[in-house]
Amino acid sequence: MRHVPGAPLSPYDPAFAPDATVVVDGASVWFGPNVALNEVSCSFGPGVTGLLGPNGAGKTTLMRTICGMLPLGAGTVRVGGLDPRTAREAQRALALVPEEDAAPGSLSARQLVRYTAALHGVRDRDAPERALATVDLLEVADRPIGGFSKGMRQRTRVAAALVSDPTILVLDEPLNGADPVQRVALIELFDRLGDEGRTVIVSSHVLHEVERLARRQIVLVRGRLAAAGDHHAIRSAIADRPRRVLVRASDPRRLAAALVGVEAVSGVGVDGGDVVVSSLRANDLARALPGLARREGIRLLEVRPLDDSLESAFREVVR
Amino acid sequence: MSATAERALPGPFVAAFVYALRVCVPPKRAALLALPCVGALLFGLLAHTVPEPTPAFRFNAIGGALFGLILPFACLVVGDAVLGAEVRAGTFGLTWLSPVRFSTIVLARWSAGWLIASGALVPAMGLSALIAGVPEAVGPIALATLAGTAAYLALFVLIGAAFRRAAWWSLGVVLLGERLLGGVLPGIAQFSPQWLATMVYAGLGPSAGELERSGMPTGWAAVGRLALLTVVFLLLAVWRIRRLRLAGTVE
Repeated sequence: MRHVPGAPLSPYDPAFAPDATVVVDGASVWFGPNVALNEVSCSFGPGVTGLLGPNGAGKTTLMRTICGMLPLGAGTVRVGGLDPRTAREAQRALALVPEEDAAPGSLSARQLVRYTAALHGVRDRDAPERALATVDLLEVADRPIGGFSKGMRQRTRVAAALVSDPTILVLDEPLNGADPVQRVALIELFDRLGDEGRTVIVSSHVLHEVERLARRQIVLVRGRLAAAGDHHAIRSAIADRPRRVLVRASDPRRLAAALVGVEAVSGVGVDGGDVVVSSLRANDLARALPGLARREGIRLLEVRPLDDSLESAFREVVR
Repeated sequence: MSATAERALPGPFVAAFVYALRVCVPPKRAALLALPCVGALLFGLLAHTVPEPTPAFRFNAIGGALFGLILPFACLVVGDAVLGAEVRAGTFGLTWLSPVRFSTIVLARWSAGWLIASGALVPAMGLSALIAGVPEAVGPIALATLAGTAAYLALFVLIGAAFRRAAWWSLGVVLLGERLLGGVLPGIAQFSPQWLATMVYAGLGPSAGELERSGMPTGWAAVGRLALLTVVFLLLAVWRIRRLRLAGTVE
């Protein structure tokens, strides 16, 4: 059921988390004539929530809106009951690791983390050292950020976000630029932060990455909320979308004729030696095709999805 | 553990002030700031070639260039750096995303910019007077520069909070607004830092009465007007920074 902006949040809607600390209600954001967010309603609570969607889906806009950095065209965002755009106190609980690789290159990692700590009024003078140690940057903390690799700059921003001990952590594509070892360490860190009861919102356009990071996921496509729930629900929503599959076989015309009778097939076309099959239930088609070919005595040479990019999958989910 | 790590963390104002000092004038911008300072010294030399009877009158002749070119250009280099350039680069979010009040952020940025700009310009303008052979002009021109930089920095912080292409807007305000329109319309000159700085010198400088414009305050009254403008620009900057759209460079 579609949520009406301003109406009470349904506890049965997977887009809404129990014990929500961040509530987004009918949020819309425009950049000139472009709609970046279109009446998005969802909420985030303690634990790690993945924000999934193709590039340009509105993930960054939603995250910046949660942090109060962008004004809303319509709707509301509340962080701990406060409007993050106007209530500076809301920023005490928040921390953002932005996607963009912008950092003052002349500062050292330690100076940047100490700066963030000072702005947040952190009294514990050891807090910056702990934050740097958490992301394994203590050894190079006095080197200028400008000389860092992309992954090191990203970890510096994570340290700067952690130093104020935020209860709500917003991470925009935090694994960008990280090497495999760092990825594992960061995923473990975000897991731990979620387990500590913090609200951790992590965005990515890579499905399997978010599956590793978060049990609960929210999918955005073209500025709209496309799906929400655990990763099984998201996977099945994507798996059951209409899909086109190209099949090359020893006898394409006979295979096409045989496929017409298969329940999972919604359309068949023959293009030269290729058979293009449309299916509403791609998983069922994948199971049926080998058996069918065996029965008909047809040799399958190639089976390839034509629109299997994550983006196309997301686009189907939102239809 | 380094010595930095052992020091207590400063308060938000000091942190934002020191950050602006450290970050906002990188070497390239510092070199750009050196240009008008060197220009001021060259104008001091150039004063010797002006066909006027006394050094004070000769120095008056180059006053238009010092206040109309050197002062705004140096302030623009620093003023854009303390806010506009950071907003464009996407690094201002680091400061914005904190519980620090916007007024504290604006005041810290402006103070740091004022310190840098006046620290570079006041000695350069004073030296220019000395080079021109008018030592008695050092005090008045230092005061005029100090008050002028304060107002200019506040104006450029406001422009940085209001426009994405802050450097171009600042240049437009200086060249079209102040020089072109302010030169012929006294109503605009009343709110122009460069004209008011000129009036400070006109009222206090030796034999500088010829620089006065009718209807404009001079001397300490002009200093007062510049201080008032500074406060108004800063208040507007605080108001504008609340409405800043930090969309970043990604989407």
